[in-house]
Amino acid sequence: MATCSSSSFISPSSFNNDPTQLPKTLQKGLLLPIRRSNIPLLHIHSNSHLRKQFQSKCSNGYPLNAVHFQDVPSTEAEAEAEAKETTISITVVGASGDLAKKKIFPALFALFYEDCLPKHFTVFGYARSKLTDEELRNMISRTLTCRIDKRENCSDKMVQFLQRCFYHSGQYGSEENFLELDRKLKEKEAGRLPNRLFYLSIPPNIFVDAVRCASCCASSATGWTRVIVEKPFGRDSESSGELTRCLKQYLTEDQIFRIDHYLGKELVENLSVLRFSNLVFEPLWSRQYIRNVQLIFSEDFGVEGRGGYFDSYGIIRDIMQNHLLQILALFAMETPVSLDAEDIRNEKVKVLRSMRTLQLDDVVVGQYKGHTKGSKTYPSYTDDPTIPNHSLTATFAAAALFIDNARWDGVPFLMKAGKALHNRRAEIRVQFRHVPGNLYKGKFGMDMDEATNELVIRVQPDEAIYLTINNKIPGLGMRLDRSNLNLLYKARYPREIPDAYERLLLDAMAGERRLFIRSDELDAAWALFTPLLKELEEKKIAPELYPYGSRGPVGEHYLAAKYNIRWGDLTSDDS
Amino acid sequence: MALSFPNYSSSSPSNLPSPSSFKHHQRTTPSSILSSQNSFRHRFLKWVSIQSAKNQNLNAVCMQEALPSNETLKKLKDRSLPFAPPEECGNVVGFSTGKEECTVSITVVGASGDLAKKKIFPALFALYYEDCLPKHFTIFGYARSKMTDAELRNMVSKTLTCRIDKRENCSEKMNQFLKRCFYHSGQYDSEEHFVELDQKLKEHEAGRITNRLFYLSIPPNIFIDVVKCAGLSASSSNGWTRVIIEKPFGRDSESSAALTRGLKQYLEEDQIFRIDHYLGKELVENISVLRFSNLLFEPLWSRQYIRNMQFIFSEDFGTEGRGGYFDSYGIIRDIMQNHLLQILALFAMETPVSLDAEDIRNEKVKVLRSMRPLQLENVVIGQYRSHTKNGVTYAGYVDDKMVPKDSLTPTFAAAALFIDNARWDGVPFLMKAGKALHTRRAEIRVQFRHVPGSLYKKSFGKDLDQATNELVIRVQPDEAIYLKINNKVPGLGMRLDRSDLYLHYAARYSKEIPDAYERLLLDAIQGERRLFIRSDELDAAWKLFTPLLKELEEKKITPELYPFGSRGPVRAHYLAEKYNVQWGDLSTEHVHG
Repeated sequence: MATCSSSSFISPSSFNNDPTQLPKTLQKGLLLPIRRSNIPLLHIHSNSHLRKQFQSKCSNGYPLNAVHFQDVPSTEAEAEAEAKETTISITVVGASGDLAKKKIFPALFALFYEDCLPKHFTVFGYARSKLTDEELRNMISRTLTCRIDKRENCSDKMVQFLQRCFYHSGQYGSEENFLELDRKLKEKEAGRLPNRLFYLSIPPNIFVDAVRCASCCASSATGWTRVIVEKPFGRDSESSGELTRCLKQYLTEDQIFRIDHYLGKELVENLSVLRFSNLVFEPLWSRQYIRNVQLIFSEDFGVEGRGGYFDSYGIIRDIMQNHLLQILALFAMETPVSLDAEDIRNEKVKVLRSMRTLQLDDVVVGQYKGHTKGSKTYPSYTDDPTIPNHSLTATFAAAALFIDNARWDGVPFLMKAGKALHNRRAEIRVQFRHVPGNLYKGKFGMDMDEATNELVIRVQPDEAIYLTINNKIPGLGMRLDRSNLNLLYKARYPREIPDAYERLLLDAMAGERRLFIRSDELDAAWALFTPLLKELEEKKIAPELYPYGSRGPVGEHYLAAKYNIRWGDLTSDDS
Repeated sequence: MALSFPNYSSSSPSNLPSPSSFKHHQRTTPSSILSSQNSFRHRFLKWVSIQSAKNQNLNAVCMQEALPSNETLKKLKDRSLPFAPPEECGNVVGFSTGKEECTVSITVVGASGDLAKKKIFPALFALYYEDCLPKHFTIFGYARSKMTDAELRNMVSKTLTCRIDKRENCSEKMNQFLKRCFYHSGQYDSEEHFVELDQKLKEHEAGRITNRLFYLSIPPNIFIDVVKCAGLSASSSNGWTRVIIEKPFGRDSESSAALTRGLKQYLEEDQIFRIDHYLGKELVENISVLRFSNLLFEPLWSRQYIRNMQFIFSEDFGTEGRGGYFDSYGIIRDIMQNHLLQILALFAMETPVSLDAEDIRNEKVKVLRSMRPLQLENVVIGQYRSHTKNGVTYAGYVDDKMVPKDSLTPTFAAAALFIDNARWDGVPFLMKAGKALHTRRAEIRVQFRHVPGSLYKKSFGKDLDQATNELVIRVQPDEAIYLKINNKVPGLGMRLDRSDLYLHYAARYSKEIPDAYERLLLDAIQGERRLFIRSDELDAAWKLFTPLLKELEEKKITPELYPFGSRGPVRAHYLAEKYNVQWGDLSTEHVHG
């Protein structure tokens, strides 16, 4: 990790001009932007009409406490106000990388297409490779698509979007190169009030370098500056703590946007809505009625020649400690005081801190091996050229977690994540308890487990919510059946569901932090997993091998059986 | 009578025409006889144990409950196929020798009537088609008209159909069925004629143990006559005898009690099967399953979470020239006091000790007795008037030739009922029933309370009522269960939407759902009384409605007129509003695939 203490000559406070700290009165149209630094006050014309449009169309309904989304003067008459307009510059650091090409640029375009970006914005690509603006645009244009339901003007819009995209080549640790970037940004910002968003799509070992350079040389002088970072956030408590410390030398907490793209997924977002806006669920949401909760993630492909990064992290760090744990926290947290980001994150931290540290005997690890099916041979994990032959890295893990608080005492939360399994799926399953003193006991045959209710939230593919209930099979007998009360998103909502990155980028620009991970949340998450991860490595626990394309190691069933549970994804209940 | 099973002769009195011969000994059948003949019992009872679909205690002679050995076998079988498609009532395993067999004779009294033709004979055929009738059975039509067996068969055959999904061998099966149908012509009050019927029945029963079921499909004023004649002259001497009667069971507490007294002169309580065909409907049957076999619902099933319940029944046609019977009863007696109240009782009762008929009916009586008698100010009545739409004129109620011009009989009623017990104190149970409305529908709606301290209050706009959860059980048409929940509209905003967790029966269960009469006839044959109304239930139900009905008649309350094909009288909304409720059937619900 780069040193982060010595080279800095800029104090964090100079970076701290985040106008999101403005009092909320501003949102009501008061023209009083306040900056912490000593730049004179700027007048901001609030255009309530446009702001309204923005809110209704794109915001997630929470107060947007970013200053500049409020005012986009539209008429010529307001040309005078032009100078006071704001602009957003989005710099994608690591623009030539895979994530940038596949996710970030397309998400930005989708936001532009949906009119969710402010009137003035600039997109900059930053990377080491020498590229011209034209070459960048060329590269990006290949991955842009319009939503299926909105093909109109698509190519027009693409051209307009690409015209706003520029490229700057530079080293990630070079302040000089970032100064050049700053000059280019200023040019495009054309005297407007600039807000700057840096998306660090780069390896974690250069996070701090890039943050240092961006903050010293390319942060906004008058608007806000925010940095989005994506996992891995360290590989254990210590390294994560170190990374946070270093980031905080240059950034304040509210400038750091740690993305967990699972939190931007539609049905994960919906989890709070389901829980807190339906009377039928909240009374059931405790150990009294819920028997166990299962968080399941599976991919039907392996590392496919790109195992370098993965091998040093493994599935537990890659999926469980972040994505699944975040979902668990949202699922299990107490009702927050409000939907404000800090209130929600406070509750998430609380529930994470109530959890028991993972124990080795509550974890099963696996690694996929080669498998020949028909004439096709699928390689094993260690066959991958980027993986050491003796790697013990887990490509599959199952774990039982416990929350030692009043609501969840004794309820197992099972997690399962794996690569190269038989299907691709992410879902949350809530298994309810047996009906006490069930009158219909005789009708279920021997297996009462087949008769419990289950709430399933399928995050992907094919978003759906369904509730498994028992009902009578129509007819003259009295046989019970387990059928589903079903909500299939595709059927109910024909519109394409936006990608998680769109939501998250939009929220970052709007200063909505609900879906981003706060430092103390991250610490709490690592504290749960670090002892286990160390033990796995120190004891060199060998993963159980499972064939590529299978259902994973058998050990997961023994783990579930230990807590008298059955994995819910085994029944063929795809509806 | 030559008994095929000599052991029974001791328990079977001679055929003396005394009421006691009709109050039969099915309950006193010495179980020692059966248990002492285990090997025989095995074969003897096998078909019932598999077929008695509901695992209830069947106290009929030939329908003893399943033996442990068979039970185990069944469970083992079930385990391998826990949710295999239903086998309806199971395979009927016939008996090896005629000596030990029993037979059921079903006599439809009033065989030429509409109900018999449209419902009873077709239901019997469906049961036969599904192999739900015992191997030996005979069906007799009884009525005053002179008819031959062939003429009856001809008449019956016109209304028989096979289920859409089971066309195979249909006409063959029909022929076989019709061969078992016979006719006997006689007066309803002539013991002589019933003696003749008895002789004919005996002929067909051919010395087997005889069980006899009489279905009284006749006007209520001759119920007692028929029961008397059947009881004295045509009851089974060695098996059971049961009588099915259908509404109206009187028109108020007094007349109902008189009817019950009359019946009980000749019948024991457990020989009387008062049918409420709504209780045989698939989704009504499902209510108890939903409530008691799902953990999800029971914790919510109280005043703490439920804001109100609605029971809605509507027909899109009027009396159509057959208003004679209806006019002397009205919609409250015709629909509310029986069908809707029965459903309400199933919904609101406490958990019964078991699924046995007596346990369930005990709970139903309890909840009915906890209810407040209806108050005039909690009732709205209406009557449809003629209406012209697109050149077609729909006749008003009093235009019906059978209806007096100045009739005040309600064809629509809405009411708010209350159960004054710990579970339901203060929760309005709204009922609504009407003829000549804009749709044909029967449904139950459970509206839940608001989320207390909802975090998403703002996202719902002004009308929080639009944001409550609702469980809807649609009994007809197009059976379905759905739960209205709030979720986020997918996309970048944060808008909430009320969508449905939906179970559409037609999509999930491709088989045709049997008619309510099939279920009920089968239950009566099997001695399963769960879906039939006990005398004390009936008393309790009348007690709730009688004061109101009297007041309506005494004060000559005029019903509010509403146009044929409309949504009914507006005052129904004011009634709902009085209890801060909205009728749930108004919102335009999206149609599910």
